[in-house]
Amino acid sequence: MRAFSASLLLGSWLFFLPIFAHGQVNSGEDVPTVTRTHALVNARVVQAPKRMLERATVVIRDGLITAVGPDVAIPFDAEEIVADSLTVYAGFIDGLSHAGIPEPPKVANEERPENPGFPPDAMAGIQPGRDVRTLLDPTQQNLKDLRAVGFTAAHVVPRGGMLPGSGAVILLAGEHANDLVVKGNTSLLAQITPARRMYPATDMGVIATMRQLYREATRRKRIEELYAKDPTGLKRPAYDPVHYALFPVLGGTTPVYFHTEDALDLHRILALRSELEFPVVLTGLSQSFEVVDKLRQAGHPLLLGTKFPKAPKKKEQEPVDSTKAQPTDAAAELPEVAMPTYRKDLRTMSYADVDTERENLEARRDLERKKHLANAATLHEAGLSFGFTTLDTKPADILGNVRTMIEHGLPEHAALAALTTTPAKILEVSSSMGTVDVGKMANLVVTKGSIFDNDTTIRYVFVDGAKYVMEPDQKEQDSTKTEESGGSRANRIAMPQEDADRARDLTVVRASRTNR
Amino acid sequence: MNTRIAILALLLVTSTAARAQQAPQSGNILVQNATVLTITQGTLTNADILILDGKIAALGEEISPPEEATVIDATGLYVMPGIIDAHSHIGISTVNEPTAPVTAQVSVGDVLNPYSVSIYRALAGGVTTSHVMHGSANVIGGQNETIKHRWGMTDPAALRMTGAPRTIKFALGENPTRVHGRGNSVRPASRMGVEYVLRETFSKAERYREAWEQYEERARTDARAIPPPYNEQLEVITDILAGDILIHCHSYRADEILMLLDVLEDFGIDRVTFQHVNEGFKIAPELAAFGKYGAAASVFADWWAYKFEVYYSTAYNAAILTRNGVLTSINSDSGELNRHLYHEAAKSQKYGDLSDDEALALITINPAKQLGIEDRVGSIEVGKDGDLALFTAHPLSIYAIPQKTIIDGRVYFDRDRDPDDVRLQVNPEAAIDIAVLHEKYDHQACLEDASLTVYDLVQELE
Repeated sequence: MRAFSASLLLGSWLFFLPIFAHGQVNSGEDVPTVTRTHALVNARVVQAPKRMLERATVVIRDGLITAVGPDVAIPFDAEEIVADSLTVYAGFIDGLSHAGIPEPPKVANEERPENPGFPPDAMAGIQPGRDVRTLLDPTQQNLKDLRAVGFTAAHVVPRGGMLPGSGAVILLAGEHANDLVVKGNTSLLAQITPARRMYPATDMGVIATMRQLYREATRRKRIEELYAKDPTGLKRPAYDPVHYALFPVLGGTTPVYFHTEDALDLHRILALRSELEFPVVLTGLSQSFEVVDKLRQAGHPLLLGTKFPKAPKKKEQEPVDSTKAQPTDAAAELPEVAMPTYRKDLRTMSYADVDTERENLEARRDLERKKHLANAATLHEAGLSFGFTTLDTKPADILGNVRTMIEHGLPEHAALAALTTTPAKILEVSSSMGTVDVGKMANLVVTKGSIFDNDTTIRYVFVDGAKYVMEPDQKEQDSTKTEESGGSRANRIAMPQEDADRARDLTVVRASRTNR
Repeated sequence: MNTRIAILALLLVTSTAARAQQAPQSGNILVQNATVLTITQGTLTNADILILDGKIAALGEEISPPEEATVIDATGLYVMPGIIDAHSHIGISTVNEPTAPVTAQVSVGDVLNPYSVSIYRALAGGVTTSHVMHGSANVIGGQNETIKHRWGMTDPAALRMTGAPRTIKFALGENPTRVHGRGNSVRPASRMGVEYVLRETFSKAERYREAWEQYEERARTDARAIPPPYNEQLEVITDILAGDILIHCHSYRADEILMLLDVLEDFGIDRVTFQHVNEGFKIAPELAAFGKYGAAASVFADWWAYKFEVYYSTAYNAAILTRNGVLTSINSDSGELNRHLYHEAAKSQKYGDLSDDEALALITINPAKQLGIEDRVGSIEVGKDGDLALFTAHPLSIYAIPQKTIIDGRVYFDRDRDPDDVRLQVNPEAAIDIAVLHEKYDHQACLEDASLTVYDLVQELE
């Protein structure tokens, strides 16, 4: 099939051949790329939060941004994308994610340790020595799904229990696992996740285990250093993968990314951290509106989750039982009291006035829900900056939820910072990612309007200079039936059945002029 | 119908008044004209109590109110020290780490949950301090935490009674043998095994302490001395041996209680409080004679026969122990019973004729002594914490209704301002079901969380 299509195309596309030869990239498909030079012409370019060019051209070459500005020469070999109606943002960075990490298969009869008080470390979720780079699978659907909503890079961590392993910054595109990796050993993930029916089976067990590991690792590191300095007369220190994996944390070079699910988690982790003083990045942060003052005092980097509580289910009305006497209690005769807002001091006679009490409790619950939706705004107003983590969020929900945060008071520039510059800073990749500036990695999101408008669609996503078309028009979708749900790989040789419309979309006209 | 409207209107008025009172409290309170049950210094009538900065500053008649003090007219009311519950599992996220027979390294203080509404319910019964304990699944369970019911504070650290001695849970008898011996086929499977685990653990801790002492000695002259392995669990056991952590031991039978006394004597530990201790009445003199201080007992007023080892008991237990000179308290071990500990104390008058002060001491100064906090709470004395419970009648009367509960000179419960919804946190996903009476941990017994293991056992047998 491939051979057939190539020969068919040969006639009309002959002049591209020289580019085929050196333009091939890790496309994920066994098809050469037309060019690695692109020019987004006359776009609105949001270079960084609060820094925008109204009408500018962005030139990408070999995976890097080589020019940004209103009067930029378009290189001879560039694919020119007319972007008059488009907006260009820096590609989004997911601060903490399991993208590309397969879920472990469900085991029917879980193995149980011989003595649940002393399970093997891995069973208890103590695996700090695992390196996420060895677990990456570039075919995972969530990589594509995250890319489809504008993410180009992610800080990924292994799945697991209390200490699942070390993280890496990856790109959300690539053919082989190694292609994805930007840098490894960026972090150690921790979470208050008890083991199932073995020690530590409770939150307090997990906290105690962390103290034990940290303090024993401190001792072993000291011995290791003594031995490294001069082994004469010293017993050789015994290597073990668990404690040794904590050494970079003890030395302050690797931060612990501590994932939290609620306000109590945050209090507990802050307390543990003030005891043990490891460098920490707090992630998740649901209910952090309860802990704002403490977070401000502590000053740790923050990664806010993008998941919201589900909308409450309406309680189903019980079907009327005609055989029972219908209630005619006096409550029905009470004058109706309008209860639009929650009344903290309400005292009703529950037995007589259920409806008033119920309305009040519903009002309270709605208030609580609003606190969750306004969590990001609350942090922002307190002067705290944060990136986002999409852990536990379906990729398709992320942008909608960020828009909800904006509706509840988060300024757009703060939302954009949380998607780009702040995670770049926390992950220490600011010099290569997070803004649309010359010299940075060509990770871009190109939209039809503001990314925060509800009806915006993402047109292209560039990862490391490779273009992904995210919004195939109807015709294209019908004729090609591409596998990728989020979009199709651009710049590839058209299949024979693809019509002229598609061919026009793919080609680089400029290149043909000079490449003879 | 007209009366209903009138009631509704009244409610609206009072609720507006309540809202006006929401200002942060200063910790300065003058309680005027009350009948004051000091517990340690008799009963005062028409007396005032002045609390400044959270501490009782003066006690007497006609104290003039300082400028920034809240004045409470307590005419006709009875004031007693805030009630202390010596055995409780409220206000924590987990109770038992039931996976090993010794888990001294864990602490319920790490998982305090200030959002738990059972804290407010305890306040509504005049209880100001709870000894929040690890469960009884393990021979040596986790460390406990002494908390004050500062309802409304959402930082778990705000619940802690700072400066209270550390305590730890031990458990003898059926619970640890069932969970570990039968449930997981590890020692102990019998009462003999329980003693073995105790002696083995204490011995390990002695060796651990010696190893570290030797290292510290060496390190003084040798900069390259190698420290021995660090062990969080044995650190805690070492502190028990040093007397820095008080033992509170779940126990029922007289024989196993005497066994623990023997073990403690062998290892030089002389402070222990037995919890439940339903057969305590059989060995009251032995308890009183133990060590320098005597062994203390914290009992139920009249609750037993909920499992085999608890069949032999009596409602006279508290009185017999008291009359034999054993430091005795009555506890709740329950998020429900703790709201009427004053009734439980009153039962010791029906069963054993204790005096008013003796009966009230069972829920105030005696548990305070067992927890090592008697210099701070447990009686109304100048210099102690401003923790008070106000009742409409003598608290040992069946007609007594708690009116106000004060901690550190701040009102945390006021029956006149007791709204329907006192929760500090609401599940934003939950459907409204106002019929819910109990939250998850209200009825937890000592074995909460450990039941998993029992369930496993049943599964395996099947």
